Amino acid sequence: MKVDKTLVASIALHVLVIGWGLVSFSSRAFESVTESIPVEFVTDDQLSKLAAGIKTGKKENAKPLVEKVAEARPVDDAVGKISQKQPIVTDAAPDPVPKLEEKPVEKKPDPPKPVTENKPKEAPKPIEKKPDPPKVDPIAEALKKEESKKPAPKAEAKATQPPPVKKREYKYDSESIAALVDKRDPTRQAYAGETLNSTPALGAAKGTAATLSQSELGAMRARLKRLWNLQGDETPEEQTLTVRIWLGQDRRLSASPQVVASGNTPRAKAAAESAVRAVLQGQPYTMLRDETYQQWKYMDIDFGPEM
Amino acid sequence: MSVTSFLLPPLPLTRRHVVIGGAAAMLLPSLAGAQTHLGVSGGEVAPIPIAIPDFVAGSPADAEVGVGVAQVITNNLKRSGLFAPIDPAAFIEKITNIDAAPQFQNWKTINAQALVTGRMTRQSDGRLKAEFRLWDVASAQQLTGQQYFTSPEYWRRIAHIISDQIYERLTGEKGYFDSRVVFVDETGSKERRIKRLAMMDQDGANVRYLTRGADLVLTPRFSPSTQEITYMEFGQGDPRVYLFNIETGQREIVGNFPGMSFSPRFSPDGQRVIMSLQQGGNSNLFVMDLRSKSTTRLTDTPAIDTSPSYSPDGSRICFESDRGGKPQIYVMAATGGAAQRISFSKDDTNGTYSTPVWSPRGDYIAFTKQGGGQFSIGIMKPDGSGERILTSGFHNEGPTFAPNGRVIMFFRDPGGNGGPSLFTVDISGRNEQKVPTPGFASDPAWSPLLS
Repeated sequence: MKVDKTLVASIALHVLVIGWGLVSFSSRAFESVTESIPVEFVTDDQLSKLAAGIKTGKKENAKPLVEKVAEARPVDDAVGKISQKQPIVTDAAPDPVPKLEEKPVEKKPDPPKPVTENKPKEAPKPIEKKPDPPKVDPIAEALKKEESKKPAPKAEAKATQPPPVKKREYKYDSESIAALVDKRDPTRQAYAGETLNSTPALGAAKGTAATLSQSELGAMRARLKRLWNLQGDETPEEQTLTVRIWLGQDRRLSASPQVVASGNTPRAKAAAESAVRAVLQGQPYTMLRDETYQQWKYMDIDFGPEM
Repeated sequence: MSVTSFLLPPLPLTRRHVVIGGAAAMLLPSLAGAQTHLGVSGGEVAPIPIAIPDFVAGSPADAEVGVGVAQVITNNLKRSGLFAPIDPAAFIEKITNIDAAPQFQNWKTINAQALVTGRMTRQSDGRLKAEFRLWDVASAQQLTGQQYFTSPEYWRRIAHIISDQIYERLTGEKGYFDSRVVFVDETGSKERRIKRLAMMDQDGANVRYLTRGADLVLTPRFSPSTQEITYMEFGQGDPRVYLFNIETGQREIVGNFPGMSFSPRFSPDGQRVIMSLQQGGNSNLFVMDLRSKSTTRLTDTPAIDTSPSYSPDGSRICFESDRGGKPQIYVMAATGGAAQRISFSKDDTNGTYSTPVWSPRGDYIAFTKQGGGQFSIGIMKPDGSGERILTSGFHNEGPTFAPNGRVIMFFRDPGGNGGPSLFTVDISGRNEQKVPTPGFASDPAWSPLLS
């Protein structure tokens, strides 16, 4: 029987190629395919964040008022994700005056327009709720964070005016340098709710993202814990009390602290007096920021036993 | 030894306090509840920094006693472990007039939380006047103020009373400094030890010897009236329980029993003495009414029942018994009846418990625990739960509570050729301190507060 040499060669070549393929691809087949799983992080920072709202809102409605949601979102948002974190605020940043006044002074090359030369993949879909902030280089962006805080579309629901900010002079500030060397991607801030919510929520009077951060609270908590002097841990139930304080802009008490809740026994009273001493000794509370004054000017401090 | 006391009124408020108070009152109605809550869980268990400058001398002759009073107060508060007196070398301001408010900034600077100012003045009638004010430095307010009149020789007692006032005002606990301790003073070599009954202030001052040491004495106990002590003494025959009057020096035998009587203790009302009576190889608990001299038998077991101690309300008795094989602590009604065992060693099944004593506050029973080759002092709740060992070692024994139930005194024998010494420890197990005594000392018993 005559065998076609070309057929043999063809078969041999095929076997060789397929065999090589089996060997070389088989190692890949064992690799597990890692699929990206969308994970949403909920930080305690978010929980403590007070959303903007109106006075007549209900406490249970935590979400800000949203009547409708834009139907489409940009496919590829070059500016970055919505950040839940605070923008870095600097002393050198210009005052948050309305943007129109600012523009003629320092003419930036990019007013907010839908398509820029840096954003070829910008989705052409109209975005009603959240216009993109101007696309600038990171440093200028960091410096102009404050400026970019223009009123959100739902500003009328908040019925607030921009908080009066004292005239600042330029001064050396390590914070501003920290902002300059900040290497994070530029982000924009969320001003309105992302989900549909027709009920107005009870929020802060000036809900301009001025949240008392966990680091501020944590630092204050640590200071008070260190100063609250206890004599023995025999009776933890007598160490539960609340002290109400009023703080001025200088971060010092503007009135005598008040014990609003405490036990009636001599030991409970001694623990309460020690707590008042701690509050008095702890001032000035330098860890609190100017921006969050509305949240810390009046506080209830709940003292309790070690958990 | 009479001390009369009057309240020292606070100084008039300065304008600053009035303004602050007014501002708070104005703020109150408009603000119902704060929007921001800050939770602080757990403070520092740390001593309170306190400044105690020498008391001002009302006349040049009173300078010495002014220094002495400040030293006694400083020593008392420091030994309690709850206060950290600040070294006077750090003081910025010299107190010269206690009727003017001190410059609080000067005391804040040295981190004082409390400040004691005082004055000692010899009166024209020969009595000594002591005044003191306790200040809260942070809030610039007077916390308490008092003046006392007494004979000049009782200046130490005045210092103890002032210490109690400061302790109570700042910790919320009753003080215990104005109290005494009776103990067995031991001198001589180990083979020929002389044991005398002695009494001293709780800080070790003013030691007095009550017996001459011809006979062996053990287990002295204070009466709630503090004028009488009951103890056991080996006389010519069997050991007997005696009653001793501190003021008159008279003593008498309690009851007339065949055989030994031992481990006596007063009832909380001071009208009865509870003790063990030997009956053959066993012993049982008896209580004797001191007025009618009638004796009541409380237990009847073929075992050794001893070391009885009343609860502060007088309704129950804790005692030691080996009815279960080994010495353990039992609790029963003060009228006798069924007893319940409360001591159960968790780590060592062979552990034994002895010398129970009920806290004057009622919350704990202190005991000596023996096990694992060690003697420990510990406390447990009257139901047997919450056992806590405060100290362990070669030989620790005989706990007794301070009048406020916060501190326990006991004696420790390090072994070898030495002898026992007295120690105090907090019921949390902190702040162990040696009590100064002239020689070796054992079997302490703390008196109630004198005032």
